[in-house]
Amino acid sequence: MFRRRRKTSDFSAEAEAHIQLEIDRLQESGLSAEGARAAARRAFGNVTQAQERFYEGGRWLWWDGLWQDVRFGLRMLAKTPGFTAVAVLTLALGIGATTAIFSAVYAVLLKPLPFRDSGRLVFIQKKNPPRGWTRNNVSAAEILGWRDQSGAFEDVAAFKQYSCVLNDAAEPEESPCEVASSNLFPLLGATPAMGRTFSGDEDKEEGPRAAILSYGLWRRRFGADASAIGRAIEVNHASYMIVGVMPANFSHLYASPYGTVPAMWLSGMGLSPTDTSNDSWGIGRLKPGITPRQAEAQMDGVSVRIEKMDPNLKGWRAELMNLRTMVSGDTRPALMVLMVAVIFVLLIACANMANLLLARGASRATEFAVRNALGASEGRMVRQLLTESLLIALAGGVLGVLLASWGCKGMAALAPQFLLHAAPDMAGGAADLNVLGFALFSILATTFLCGLAPALRSARPELTDALKEQGRGVGQSVRSRRFRAALVVWEIALAMVLLVGAGLMIRTLVELGRVSLGFNPARILTLRVPLSGDRYRQDRAQADFWERLTAAAQALPGVETASVSRGLPIDGWAGQFFTTADQPNPPAGHVPDANYGVVSPDYFHTLQIPLRRGRRFNEHDNETGDGVVIVNEELARLHWPGQDPLGKRLRPGSPNSGSRWLTVVGVAGDVRSWGAASDVHAELYVPYRQYPWLMPPQYLLVRTSSGLKPDGLISAVVREVHRIDAGLPVADIATMEQIAREPMVEQRMVMALMLSFAGLALVLSALGTYSVLSYAVAQRTREIGMRMALGAQRGNVLRLVVSGGVRLAVLGIAVGIVAALALTRLMTDLLFGVGATDPVTFGAVTAVLGATSLAASYIPARRAINVDPIVALRHE
Amino acid sequence: MSTQKAGERLELLQGTLDLLILRTLIFGPQHGQGIARAIQQTSEEELLVEHGALYPALQRLEDRGWISAKWGTSANNRKARFYSLTAGGRKQLVKETAKWERLAGAIGRILGRGAEES
Repeated sequence: MFRRRRKTSDFSAEAEAHIQLEIDRLQESGLSAEGARAAARRAFGNVTQAQERFYEGGRWLWWDGLWQDVRFGLRMLAKTPGFTAVAVLTLALGIGATTAIFSAVYAVLLKPLPFRDSGRLVFIQKKNPPRGWTRNNVSAAEILGWRDQSGAFEDVAAFKQYSCVLNDAAEPEESPCEVASSNLFPLLGATPAMGRTFSGDEDKEEGPRAAILSYGLWRRRFGADASAIGRAIEVNHASYMIVGVMPANFSHLYASPYGTVPAMWLSGMGLSPTDTSNDSWGIGRLKPGITPRQAEAQMDGVSVRIEKMDPNLKGWRAELMNLRTMVSGDTRPALMVLMVAVIFVLLIACANMANLLLARGASRATEFAVRNALGASEGRMVRQLLTESLLIALAGGVLGVLLASWGCKGMAALAPQFLLHAAPDMAGGAADLNVLGFALFSILATTFLCGLAPALRSARPELTDALKEQGRGVGQSVRSRRFRAALVVWEIALAMVLLVGAGLMIRTLVELGRVSLGFNPARILTLRVPLSGDRYRQDRAQADFWERLTAAAQALPGVETASVSRGLPIDGWAGQFFTTADQPNPPAGHVPDANYGVVSPDYFHTLQIPLRRGRRFNEHDNETGDGVVIVNEELARLHWPGQDPLGKRLRPGSPNSGSRWLTVVGVAGDVRSWGAASDVHAELYVPYRQYPWLMPPQYLLVRTSSGLKPDGLISAVVREVHRIDAGLPVADIATMEQIAREPMVEQRMVMALMLSFAGLALVLSALGTYSVLSYAVAQRTREIGMRMALGAQRGNVLRLVVSGGVRLAVLGIAVGIVAALALTRLMTDLLFGVGATDPVTFGAVTAVLGATSLAASYIPARRAINVDPIVALRHE
Repeated sequence: MSTQKAGERLELLQGTLDLLILRTLIFGPQHGQGIARAIQQTSEEELLVEHGALYPALQRLEDRGWISAKWGTSANNRKARFYSLTAGGRKQLVKETAKWERLAGAIGRILGRGAEES
């Protein structure tokens, strides 16, 4: 309807022409020039009125009004730069923070994965509820059974994680890779950037060996050369043909567990219906209309049938997870808490702005009264005021979006690594249209939320009062004052909730830090050396390598001890079965398991794990010595409660594995192998010189002498590795402290963000208190002067003002406590060692908030006691 | 346009003016002064149209797409804005005419009956 706008000048010309034509006609019929002009004008009527009607008839009036409002609003805002700056900045912080968090929520939880119809993709794992195991690998037998018999899937693809050593040319390199079934790529709807994906023929274990490169590996190792396709690549000393390259980012976006980012995919998955080893993951495409829960129910029927094949499958049931959820990990609670927190910040910013607008409205009361008296309607004035709010919100929003992109980068720096892989857009800020839309929405919501009430209030001036008191700073009505006080109470209450949230996170991190991990992570450098190829086919060759490496590392200057292990505390878990001599034939499904550490004698020394009973390993615990094992306290407690574990016997593997019996020679202190927040699990250690191992050692651990930083040793240690074998890659170089910190990254991120939100809330609510009280003091200058003239002491006046602030604070804190009690329960998942209603936190936060409110009231109170009674009484 | 019925009933005169304009334009393009003149003349000077009041009506009809306008030259060589009927306008004229006749008939009947009774 706005399609064309006829200019008013065009209409004027038409009216002019009309009159001219009429004059011509009248003159023709014999009138004089003068008479014709007069008659024509008479016939036309009021030209100006016609023009006005034409103008109002046009649908542009509204826009013109808006434009007028905008221009006027800009002038008014420019007149009070202080107010404008504070208001814009407040909103910019609120909108910026909200947009940043929303962009993370969107990237991590909402944005569909870039796969065909990705809502139907599920990640397939299995669980064993009676034994408390979840998210376990599945076997080929189960994958085939579920795919073909459950009727829930269009297709199921399988892959297993693998470690690939690229030993051709240049520097040897070890990268995570996956052996994938050929249908994985079509199932996802993912096409390679170049070349092709696997053929059905290549699925066979003995079929042609093919490899697909990730974009990253292709660029790094092949310099993005298109001729890489068709070339051979040597992986784990076997030759594969490169058949394709996947597009950038693909690796991150399908659900590799534990956030592993595969560098390459290999063919030869060879799914066999009789293979019951649990070494694969599944990705399924559900048939349309089937929910993951329905599919699970259908799959359970299949599981019941196939668990008869192998006792180890007993009790295991499929566990499906939406692929998006799987990729994002367990970040939902953290992000939800942050989203709620940041919306609170926005609400506080809003309340603050409403407060500012009200104060401003009061000082402009005369202006509104005059406009009202001159005929401006209430609606017209509300519109004017809302336009001003919109201008502030827009400016704040634009600034906020800029701040958000900056904030997103900060957040990305704090975020756990896997999250960045799973949601590469997380640091993108409002670059996404959906996020930008959200920012726009929050701008509009802010405008109405903070602008409407003040606008309605200001546009309804008490005309005569306002005009009477013209030029003297018009008093606010009682209702208006109450409203402003209510806003401040609301701000304090919201700030209280945020502070409690931040306080609980701080307490959580303190508690986590206080937990004894069971070892000392300080001054330890760790690195992994994957041994592969013919040279290390023999266990003995591997053991020799580790022995030489330990000795070499030990001899380096600045090294206190060095040792070898399979896995590291916190970083990896290698659960395996074992059988005790006391119960050699446990019922199927009840075979005990433990984390296996394959270690060198100095391991306990290096990590400073205390020995509770018996002895450590020594150099005699080798190939020729008796089989020995050290168990942790938890394992001893579980299997030999109240007995002496020393001398007890157990053997690795499942009951029928036939491995030799090992004698318990020591009991080591418990180590929190899953991080500070988790429980202690049964663990056992075997010496790395005794074979056969279930799993070979992989890591070198080096403890530096006190005062030396462990990362200073990296190049020296790597040099030693290459001195022994130049063809070996060195991977996962890290300090033990980094590894120990990793499980807390998420809590740290939440804590840092919550703390900044809470700080912002605190400042904003203090500003609110301050502005309301200073206004009240300004209003009551005369009263205060009178009181002082009549003999009131400065203390009395001080108390008068401060008590106003205290009342607001007490009310706000009371409301805040109630709200916090209700809301912090949402955080339970993120907390450790502290309850959601922790009285210490609540107490501390109350004190902080109370003190801040007092400080905010004190400044206006100072101003009040410095009132000179003479000046004050002349004030009005 | 059903949404306009209520408005038309309230502003009968305005609706009538629209109808008269459309009717006048059936004989070909005409400028504002010509339309005003024609209405006055054909109604044998019964209807006195304030020329200025014509323009909001013309603008409205143009907005609805029933008439279109462009600048041209009048018979006596004056620049003027000429209005002509669009296809939609023609349809509207037929509709409006029928409606008007029904309305006029109904009012006539009521008034006629009223006259008999008195």
